[in-house]
Amino acid sequence: MSSYSGIRESRPNTFNDYGGDSQKTEQDFKNGCLKMADRTFSQGLQCQQINSMAALMSLDDAVFIAHSPQGCVGCSTLAVDMYRVGQAHRGVSLIKSPRMIVTNLDQKDIILGGEEKLKEAIQLAIERYAPKLIFVFTSCASGIIGDDIDAIVREAQETSESIIVPIHCDGFKSKVCASGFDAAFISISKYLLPKEKPQKQKNLINLFAPTTVSYKDQLEIERMLGLLDLKCNYIPFYSSLDKISAIPAAEASVSICKVFADEFMKELEETYDIPYSHTVMPIGVRNTDKWFRGVAALVGKEDVAEAYIEKEHARVLPQLEKIKERLQGKKVFICGGTGRSFAAAALIDDFGMELVGLETPTYDFDAQIDIEYLNGIHKDFVIDVANMQPFEQINLVNRLKPDVFIGVPSWSARLGIPTTHVLDMKRPTMGYDGIIYLGNKIADQVQNPGFNKKLAAHARLPYKKSWYEKNPFQFIKTTGE
Amino acid sequence: MSVVTESPRGNCVLGGIGAVLSAVHKVCPIYHSGPGCCMQTSAGESGQAGGKQPYFLSSVSFPCSNMLEREVVFGGVEKLKTTIEGAVEIIDADAYFVLTGCTAGIIGDDIKSVTNEFKEQGVKIYPIETPGFAGESYLGYETAFDTFLEQIVKPDLPKQKNLVNLFGIIPYHDPFWSGNLEELSRILKKLGLQVNTFFTEDQGIETIETSSKAVLNIIVHPWLLKGAAKKYEEEFKVPTLRIPGLPIGATDTSVFVRQVGEALNLKQDLIEQVIKEEEDYVYHYLEQAIGALSWKRFAVVADSNIATGVTRFLANDYSFTPIVVIISEPTFREEDRERIKKQITDLEYATPPKVYFEPDFYKINKILEQYPEITMLIGSSNEREYALAKDLQCSVIAYPITDRLIFNRTYIGYRGSLTLVEDFYDNL
Repeated sequence: MSSYSGIRESRPNTFNDYGGDSQKTEQDFKNGCLKMADRTFSQGLQCQQINSMAALMSLDDAVFIAHSPQGCVGCSTLAVDMYRVGQAHRGVSLIKSPRMIVTNLDQKDIILGGEEKLKEAIQLAIERYAPKLIFVFTSCASGIIGDDIDAIVREAQETSESIIVPIHCDGFKSKVCASGFDAAFISISKYLLPKEKPQKQKNLINLFAPTTVSYKDQLEIERMLGLLDLKCNYIPFYSSLDKISAIPAAEASVSICKVFADEFMKELEETYDIPYSHTVMPIGVRNTDKWFRGVAALVGKEDVAEAYIEKEHARVLPQLEKIKERLQGKKVFICGGTGRSFAAAALIDDFGMELVGLETPTYDFDAQIDIEYLNGIHKDFVIDVANMQPFEQINLVNRLKPDVFIGVPSWSARLGIPTTHVLDMKRPTMGYDGIIYLGNKIADQVQNPGFNKKLAAHARLPYKKSWYEKNPFQFIKTTGE
Repeated sequence: MSVVTESPRGNCVLGGIGAVLSAVHKVCPIYHSGPGCCMQTSAGESGQAGGKQPYFLSSVSFPCSNMLEREVVFGGVEKLKTTIEGAVEIIDADAYFVLTGCTAGIIGDDIKSVTNEFKEQGVKIYPIETPGFAGESYLGYETAFDTFLEQIVKPDLPKQKNLVNLFGIIPYHDPFWSGNLEELSRILKKLGLQVNTFFTEDQGIETIETSSKAVLNIIVHPWLLKGAAKKYEEEFKVPTLRIPGLPIGATDTSVFVRQVGEALNLKQDLIEQVIKEEEDYVYHYLEQAIGALSWKRFAVVADSNIATGVTRFLANDYSFTPIVVIISEPTFREEDRERIKKQITDLEYATPPKVYFEPDFYKINKILEQYPEITMLIGSSNEREYALAKDLQCSVIAYPITDRLIFNRTYIGYRGSLTLVEDFYDNL
């Protein structure tokens, strides 16, 4: 990763603003005809700092310092909630909150610099908790005013037993929130991993997962990897310095999400000779097969994987048939993060549904592989490369009239369309049992859409009637870059 | 002015402004900010206020210029212009507000000249030049009101003699704001009044414009909106009655009713009739569950508005024993602290509790440790950890609330006090 800046849009052929039909999109990408673009009008995005904090805030024995005004820890409430729920799911009875300190940059600091406050925050973290780890997250404000965070950290480190790790995640530096994951891993690598190769721990595999993966899913994935005699080093949710330190000793790496730790795994291979598998997210039969095979190939256990896959197919496919009977031919629109949206789209094939629209934050080489596959099984469908942008979504959903919407339900539900989600941070969605759970959830919603239908009669979406008649992509303008 | 704080109970001023505007019917905030501010501020305010999200616009549906490196270096005015154009084209709003994040504030983009261009085209659009780093949530509420008063409220309108403005209850930052405004409105309507809240019953920009027709502002809060009250009085001839804390239960709510009645010269028998009906209603239920809750020695960690209300109700009307009250929002003026202290310690029978002003999570816990005699902890979701560790009953009734869903629930007024007692029981 030494050469990689951590800014996702710096990677070649990465598009974040695009809309079009899937067949043409595939061809245009292949022929290098997709153009860089920007939206002249857009709604709020997710900044990379949100992702950096979310990735780490469940680490044990750590204090998290946001060098920012108070607003920049708004989304940490989600991480706090995940940490609390995560403990409850793991049977912890004395549930703790993450220790988070905000430097609270204000008008005076903007003019004079906020470095003293950062020093104070680091001091408080040490005095109060003497943690093993202190993470310092930067912000737009600290970045623009030019506080020298690295220098302050270096100085504080001289007298501190806690390891202090700065994470450079200024929001305005990237449009792609997944950059924040990379920023976190770049710093983990720089500040926490040894320079020399450690002794290998036999059968240890690094299992990287964003914090949105539920404990049920973690257990299922760990169980599956156990079948390959692998012991998981699950990073970073509910993890620790010890587990992070063990990363270089692993024999292999894999991630549950495609955009999580992908660059980091590349670096681990270069620095510590740890091979990794980068395939798909294990949601749906085909994707679970593919993901599992990918890992098995790393450790030479393809035969074990094949035997297991065969056994699971025999168990699960008949159950899937029942779900298929309920969902066959239903039109579906999917919106999700990069990993989940494509995983969900593949899963739809398991249920015999027809994909009519797909909204995903980024189009790149990885996305192209998925689109080629999806174009093979579905007719033309609409691709909206957008991070949320509910105004485009609602226009498309209203236009395409799917039988079910999969994604954040807040808007489509108000059009009366049955909705469900593949992102369930508190319940199972992955592996072979996850698909049954998901399938039934979708089918139940399609069968019983009463809530959304009645809601639609009263709901008040904020858009003008005329907007629904317009081209959903009218604000996407090529930038000529 | 801002200090380094552990787990602060609030967002930045941008979050405060955004939360207020998102509660006004058909109003469209437009963020001129970095790419995360819409989500961060909404997660920080409505996201920690009992699970309900603004129905019109919030979080990732706020129009936003999403300023990136290019805008930070070269200025973001062009991006803001096209963002406003798009918002006006597609969002069915009665008014638009341009808010500024840290990025726009630091580089000094001139948003006023941009909004002026749109104003000339007849768009109702208002700039708010108070960037995120200028303060916290409470300042956001006050800034929103300053904006209303400077740019929107109409002068020289004829007075409407039964019209009052009900302020001080902050949308989302008070997670029970809907129910709270509804309960106080219900009581005021019984007195024959019409109530502007700006945030309930689909009141929108027109209500704000014509709020100068009111004959009285009722500000239910110990210290908020001092500047706005002055302005209403001086420029729009609307005097203010301040109720220094949420009225909870028969005693304080009847005081509230009498004070309003007095300020408006309402008929004495009407006032007393309403009070009698309502108090009878409350005691009709209370006498059916005597001793349902065992008596408690309680601590409160909450914003001053709810802390004063709940302490006074439990001490004066329910015979619980107050031990310590920690006011968790940043307060800056000594006179405000005195007013809050007086409300909390001026009790009928109970020994006054100790009062602290402390927003920092670690220090709050250190204060609580000095009072091992408490058997009930009333606070926010942040207090659950301490209560679990000390095996205390914990009731979560103050922001931030991340583990309850709250639509129209209220703990204030007459009826809300019954719900409060119900929930304390549920929570045993």
